[in-house]
Amino acid sequence: MPYEKILTRNVGVPGSTSLKAYQAAGGYEGARKALAMKPDELVELVKKANLRGRGGAGFPAGVKWSFLPPNRDVTYLCVNADESEPPTFCNRVLMESDPHMLLEGILIAGYATRTTIAYIYMRGEFTEQFHIMQRAVDEAYAAGYFGRNVLGSGYDIECYIHRGAGAYVCGEETGLIESLEGKRGWPRIKPPFPAVEGLFRKPTVVNNVETLACLPHILTRGVDWWLALGPKGSHGTKMYCVSGPVKRPGCYEAPLGISTRELIYGPDFGGGMRDGMKVKACSPGGLSMGFLRGDLFPKNPSADKLDLAQDYDELDCKLDFDDTRRYGLLGLGTAAAVVVGEDTDIRDVLVNVARFYAHESCGQCTQCREGTGWMYKIAQRIRAGAGRRYDLDLLAEITTNMGMMPGLSICGLPDGAAWPIRTLVQRFRREFERHIDAQAPGAVEQAIRRVNPAAYELPIVQGRAVAPERGSMSYEHEWSNAAGT
Amino acid sequence: MPTITIDGKKVDCREGVPVLQAALEAGLEVPHYCYHPGLSIVASCRLCLMEMKMPNPQTKELEWAPRLFPSCQTPVRDGMEVRFESPAVQGNQQHVMEYYLVNHPLDCPVCDKAGECYLQDYSERFGHASSRMVEDKHKNPKKNIGSDTLLYQDRCVLCTRCVRFCDEIAGAGELRVVDRGNRCEIDVFPGVPLDNPLQGNVVDLCPVGALLDKGFLFRQRVWMLRHTPSVSPADSSGATIWIDHNDEGVHRCRPRFNERVNQWWISDEQRFAWRAYVRREHERLTLPRQRRGGETETVRWEDLPAILRFRFEQAARAPSGPQAPAPGSKVAAVLSPMMSCEEAWLLGRFIRSVAPQATLVLGHVPVVGQDRTFAKGFVIRAEKCPNRRGVERAMESLGGPNLALADFLKAAGEGKFAAAYVVGGYPESWVTPDMQKPLAKVEFLVVHDLFASPLSAAATIVIPGASWMEREGTFMNCDGLVQPFERAIVPLEGVKSDGQFFHELCGEPGLFRSRRTREKMAETMPEFASVFVPRQEPEYAH
Amino acid sequence: MSWQAVDRTRVPEEQLGPGLSEAVKEKIRAFFSRYPTKQAAVLPALHIAQDALGYVSLRAMKELAELLEIPPSKVMDVVTFYTHFWTHPKGRKTLLLCRSISCELLGAGKLKDAIRQRLGIGEHETTPDGEYSFMTEECLAACDHAPCLMVNEKMHKCVRPEDLERILADADNDRLDIPRSDLFDAP
Ligand SMILES: Cc1cc2nc3c(=O)[nH]c(=O)nc-3n(C[C@H](O)[C@H](O)[C@H](O)COP(=O)(O)O)c2cc1C
Ligand code: SF4
Ligand code: SF4
Ligand code: FES
Ligand code: FES
Repeated sequence: MPYEKILTRNVGVPGSTSLKAYQAAGGYEGARKALAMKPDELVELVKKANLRGRGGAGFPAGVKWSFLPPNRDVTYLCVNADESEPPTFCNRVLMESDPHMLLEGILIAGYATRTTIAYIYMRGEFTEQFHIMQRAVDEAYAAGYFGRNVLGSGYDIECYIHRGAGAYVCGEETGLIESLEGKRGWPRIKPPFPAVEGLFRKPTVVNNVETLACLPHILTRGVDWWLALGPKGSHGTKMYCVSGPVKRPGCYEAPLGISTRELIYGPDFGGGMRDGMKVKACSPGGLSMGFLRGDLFPKNPSADKLDLAQDYDELDCKLDFDDTRRYGLLGLGTAAAVVVGEDTDIRDVLVNVARFYAHESCGQCTQCREGTGWMYKIAQRIRAGAGRRYDLDLLAEITTNMGMMPGLSICGLPDGAAWPIRTLVQRFRREFERHIDAQAPGAVEQAIRRVNPAAYELPIVQGRAVAPERGSMSYEHEWSNAAGT
Repeated sequence: MPTITIDGKKVDCREGVPVLQAALEAGLEVPHYCYHPGLSIVASCRLCLMEMKMPNPQTKELEWAPRLFPSCQTPVRDGMEVRFESPAVQGNQQHVMEYYLVNHPLDCPVCDKAGECYLQDYSERFGHASSRMVEDKHKNPKKNIGSDTLLYQDRCVLCTRCVRFCDEIAGAGELRVVDRGNRCEIDVFPGVPLDNPLQGNVVDLCPVGALLDKGFLFRQRVWMLRHTPSVSPADSSGATIWIDHNDEGVHRCRPRFNERVNQWWISDEQRFAWRAYVRREHERLTLPRQRRGGETETVRWEDLPAILRFRFEQAARAPSGPQAPAPGSKVAAVLSPMMSCEEAWLLGRFIRSVAPQATLVLGHVPVVGQDRTFAKGFVIRAEKCPNRRGVERAMESLGGPNLALADFLKAAGEGKFAAAYVVGGYPESWVTPDMQKPLAKVEFLVVHDLFASPLSAAATIVIPGASWMEREGTFMNCDGLVQPFERAIVPLEGVKSDGQFFHELCGEPGLFRSRRTREKMAETMPEFASVFVPRQEPEYAH
Repeated sequence: MSWQAVDRTRVPEEQLGPGLSEAVKEKIRAFFSRYPTKQAAVLPALHIAQDALGYVSLRAMKELAELLEIPPSKVMDVVTFYTHFWTHPKGRKTLLLCRSISCELLGAGKLKDAIRQRLGIGEHETTPDGEYSFMTEECLAACDHAPCLMVNEKMHKCVRPEDLERILADADNDRLDIPRSDLFDAP
């Protein structure tokens, strides 16, 4: 076993969810240590450990906590267990194998932030996991880890599980807050940030399940141990997920910084592709982070110079907070890889991805609401065999002006929609073009006229598709890419 | 007062307003849908985005931050520098406008809002010439959501102004967004229609033609309308409004911003007050008439002043009865709270000029229920007339004997009055048997009213009045605020506007001009030296 | 006809559907103490209502609104936002199939066709005997078991079209093999 199992030590271990088993393995020692410290010392400690959020944004948890206003009587802690990003399931694995690890993390974070009530916002589709967690919460209450005067420290904290009901956007922290308040999960504008004005307009901390589950280990084993794991800037261990046509889909733990190839092919990870297939594409950080080209493509001859414009194998991308950006991805995300095998039509992937975001956009911001829906329709038309080369440019342009520039929309969902679609269209353009060139002649005109009979009179293939004179950002390289269309 | 730089120009702005508001007040055109100064800020339309200078985290130098900020949600700070004229901002505007058309039916030719629609305006000003959307559009239904309002869902741009209005201002929360993503719709709970007393505002608030007034539906193209500033006569709050009208008459009323009274809103009563006048138009009195024995005959307007002067002087001179306290008290004038301040003052002056001891009476003040205050301070007044205070003020300044209406009626019933000039002007029937009987005892009864009534039937002289839309003047609201209203439409054929008639009655030459009359009034009543005109607000996409 | 409007101002009594029993309301009230506002209890309340009635009827929404002291429109808003809630009756068991990327790559599409063919129903439809309803949903966070199919609370893992018959034949195909918390009733 090359990497030590820390968060996943109990995966597949029968009976691991009970308090007894957890305590027998030294459980709640970290919490005891924490309760003996001052909350502010605890915040400093977590800052020092540079524990970056595992929910997707990678924001350091200690820094987030220190944004809380100093004078406050009510603080809420929301535990983000709304894991809905395809294909991520590490929080689920963690909660169903080691619920008390999360609860201990909640207690530590709660104490550090002087939280009065912690809500575990768990997605509604987690049924089995809900019952496991609820039982663990009951046990923890009974053992005095929650409630009044926790372990005689004088600290009071309540902990409730709140069940969602099927909405990806409720994983966004302010969407989660709105949803908890009993409204539709429409994310809020920031500022004010939740730390200042969050749940019920009170200071609130939102943290991911896995982020919190790291806390007991940092406390018991020390910051130095933690900092020694993983590369600089991306410390600690991470639960990687891998799914798709690999031999061993699942959730595997390793320090940050392993490569995508290792995650797919490593014998302790994905174990390679089924049926000796090659990888066509891989989205290594959860769907929203974007796709890499797989080993179906030739290796880059100059090993140290990255060339994203060429169709080269990109599986050497390291899964940490920085290398993913170098490869033109949005970030590390949830470090959940989905592997697309060589037998899959890339158009199906595009439709599936576009549908996800169109279905999950909350509908507040114009770009996101209309842009995701529009892209889905274009993707469907391309798959139906009525695509235009121009559609590829159009898709790339829509992604540019709905999510590429920060601040265009209220939350990060359109960025998440933009990256996979954009990377698909750019990195697999040749394949799309092959499909388009193989279409029946006139298929496009027919498809468009079915929608709009007036299009008979219009030069639909080129003329209606007037390119804009101005754009949110320059996308010239794409236009040059499209030369010959 | 903070000063900020917008597109290189220094702009002084009010404390605490968003940059968007400051820019609009400075006369800039910044597209926006979801922002409305009277509602909470959601920053969801993403049209108003701007660039802002921020300190570079590395060099600490101020430079354009590589992102966009919603100007509606960024409060002004002294010295801040923003810009709208940049490729990124304008590119965003262009794209967002394109997105708005992705599922919009483009049915402007049959849309009531066409001409004052901000989707049209912004598309032309900030958008693309053509749409690149060739896919199937969502087709959303039209919904009947209330007794006065229709929702054409497919035209909606989901700015949620209507939803926030119902929540925050009206407090009834009937409207909601349902579903999510681009399947979002605005809806009411089935069977719980939009019927709060302020609901009409959602139609004005809607930047596009999604929410429509059933009464206005398909009636006029808005570019055929002229807009006249007015004050609503529906209650005593003095809500300022626009009357939209053309040669065919009045078509609708809309709120006119007023920081002291109604803000951006009006109640439905105020909005639809004009309809009562129009609905009963066939009952309107149209020519002055005089009773001769059992018959009535029309009188020429020119002859009326002389007749009235003669008859009132005669009544005033007649020997007073045994109990009557002083000469002249056999004459009275009942001033209606529907009259303008000027009219009340002129008529009072006329009566006092012919009968110096004439009694002045404040007419019937309609009151319905109690004042109703809404969440953010909008008030619907129980007093359903615009100018009780103004009339009282005029009576006070004229001095001399006054009587309350009830006392006057009692005295009239006892035969103590030989002549009375009674003004009505109410949109609804107001004459009760309790009034009718005592007034029958008045020998020379002049009734100046809008509609035929038992009282006008019994009067010696009937003078047709003009509605408030056909007059000009000022109303003093329940808080003493004097606000002018202008004439929107010409009086009905045969009718002379009340102000003009009283002007002539007082022997004044030329045309009645309320401003000139007010100058005279100001000699004894300084509050009429100036009137309150609300601040000119920039257009908020509605 | 395009100019005709859907009437939202009235709703026939029979369309309101079933209401909530006092026991259900009591269960909902037990959640009030968890939150500083009553409105915050709307999600648990809707779960409980749907578990009791099979779906969230208009009458239930109205009664919930009364219970939570909010306008009924706010309940409707929440119900329609979340995909878990049904606004029309559903069957005793709901087949919930993941349609996101990992599941689709491993054959969720074929499984969907198999379900539709076997049960003769499309999405959001119910078999005539009222036993099964069918819907698809985005990633269920069980991609390691793709393609996955939930029957009410029970997750069936790595389901191939040929497994369908076996799953449907099992009367306990929705029974969890771990102890349930009684905070929420089984659907
Ligand atoms: C559209 C969207 C969906 C998100 N979904 C999740 C989620 O399912 N789970 C999660 O932990 N964080 C999610 N996030 C990230 C959260 O907003 C937030 O950054 C995170 O919960 C913070 O926790 P951390 O600091 O512990 O990472 C999502 C963000 C966006 C923009
Ligand atoms: S960006 Fe999209 S998902 Fe996020 S708040 Fe706006 S509309 Fe909703
Ligand atoms: S109906 Fe009008 S006001 Fe309401 S959300 Fe739609 S566009 Fe905005
Ligand atoms: S986002 Fe600023 S006006 Fe809509
Ligand atoms: S993709 Fe099906 S469970 Fe994640």
